[in-house]
Amino acid sequence: MNDLRYGVAEAIRLLLAGDAELYAVVSRTLAISLLATLLAMAVGVPLGYGLARGKFPGRLVLLSAVNTGMGMPPVVVGLVVWLLLTRSGPLGSLDLIYTKPAMVLAQFVIATPLVIGFTAASIQALPPQLPDLLATLGAGRIRRLWIISKEAQLGLVAAVMAGFGAVVSEVGASMTVGGNLRGSTRVLTTAIVTETGRGNVPVALALGLVLLALAFAVNLLLTLIQQRQR
Amino acid sequence: MDVAVDQLLFIRDGRRVLDVPGLTFPTGSTTALFGPNGSGKTTLIRLIAGLERPTRGTVTLGGVAVKVGRVGVQPVGLAFQEPVFLRGSVRRNLDLALRLRRVPAADRVARIEEAARECGVAHVLDRSARQLSGGEAQRANLARALALRAPVTLLDEPLAGIDRIARTQLLHDLPRLLATFAATTILVTHDREEAFRLADRLVVMIGGMARTAGTKAEVYSRPPDRETAELLGYTVLRTGGGTVAVPPGGLKPGGGELSFTLVVERVVDMGNHLHVLGTIAGARTDLRLPTGAARPTLGQEMPVVAASHVPL
Repeated sequence: MNDLRYGVAEAIRLLLAGDAELYAVVSRTLAISLLATLLAMAVGVPLGYGLARGKFPGRLVLLSAVNTGMGMPPVVVGLVVWLLLTRSGPLGSLDLIYTKPAMVLAQFVIATPLVIGFTAASIQALPPQLPDLLATLGAGRIRRLWIISKEAQLGLVAAVMAGFGAVVSEVGASMTVGGNLRGSTRVLTTAIVTETGRGNVPVALALGLVLLALAFAVNLLLTLIQQRQR
Repeated sequence: MDVAVDQLLFIRDGRRVLDVPGLTFPTGSTTALFGPNGSGKTTLIRLIAGLERPTRGTVTLGGVAVKVGRVGVQPVGLAFQEPVFLRGSVRRNLDLALRLRRVPAADRVARIEEAARECGVAHVLDRSARQLSGGEAQRANLARALALRAPVTLLDEPLAGIDRIARTQLLHDLPRLLATFAATTILVTHDREEAFRLADRLVVMIGGMARTAGTKAEVYSRPPDRETAELLGYTVLRTGGGTVAVPPGGLKPGGGELSFTLVVERVVDMGNHLHVLGTIAGARTDLRLPTGAARPTLGQEMPVVAASHVPL
């Protein structure tokens, strides 16, 4: 209980003191996770739409694979990405291992199935004849996608929240492919693991609270966007 | 704008869904595509609307071939069988349709008000489109298609899914609405009464083929085969010399030149007359007894005569 109280006090102190390292870790966490989520949206939304509306052999198998991917353990993703990017791996020549792009890649792999799955579910919840209606009214492909995306706004924002929530809170993949290098690839989750390992529980707790506050702030913003048209 | 289909073939998953060598829907006419479920009616209007690519053949609107995936102002207005609405009010839905058709903002308000008023949904214009009753939703669906004032209006089962009172009212209103807003109209129905009350021309569709087409009188007076005759309400009966189709109400109690034996299965008291349901040599039929006639017993064999008939 004392640790918790001290942790809250320490978190407030660190934030108010303008601790440069803390702010660097926070901004790095945000940058990596937001970029990974954005990339997952760019890839996952069209794929989710295609899975929801498409008619092709193997669609159900793909959908099942996506649903399985939604629960993929981050540490396994980290391991696979590490095997790809390590010096002797097939992408070793890119020299990305233990860098921020490697962390973005791993987080992208974690978030993408979530975005695809949530998008597919939200598109499937719309009236199936909506694209046909818009087509007969003369809307082109891009306009149709835009209108349908607006209709599926609740589900699409949920996809962003799920994707961002999964990657900002994961530690296994970031630790494996990022290496938790101070000043370079350390993010809030890996910093919490490090501080806990050092026995620095109040600081770890403080970082945990900052992470929670960060996740809450992003989700609050997304929820406001999501609920705007209700 | 006239609509024509030529050598139209549509195959889906290896199944021949539609095979129509040729059909013409004259400018200004209202044609009912009439047939049972699964006869290819909806597929035909989807092909006319450019929502499906034919396996073979062409559809032309005013002489111009329909292409799938056209963008911009379309010559057709389509009301789907199940009303499909976006989130938001009925007004927003109608406005979006007109905006996509590039109707100037200044005209849109008046067009929406007029279509909503004529279709009887002016009072729900600002209500959520997804919370309308079945009848209101179907009327709002119609209002959206009619507000477009498209050269060709396509209505897929416009009276489907609504209660009897709303259906009766809409059946009464639709001819006036089509006369006000629509030019060439093609509607899909599996209901004989709807087909005859709403259209001036009929295309009878069975098994993906147009069995007969023409004015109502032409189609009704000359059913080409047994299935078409039955769909049009005829009782098809075998006689010594062949097969005849007796129109609804064409059987009367008694004997005569073309007489049969009706086995009574049920007698329904309709209040002012008795209605007899039964079979003639296995064919189901019904007979209205004159006022004051004695009530027949179940299983009784009644002599009946065909007052009029069409040879098949």
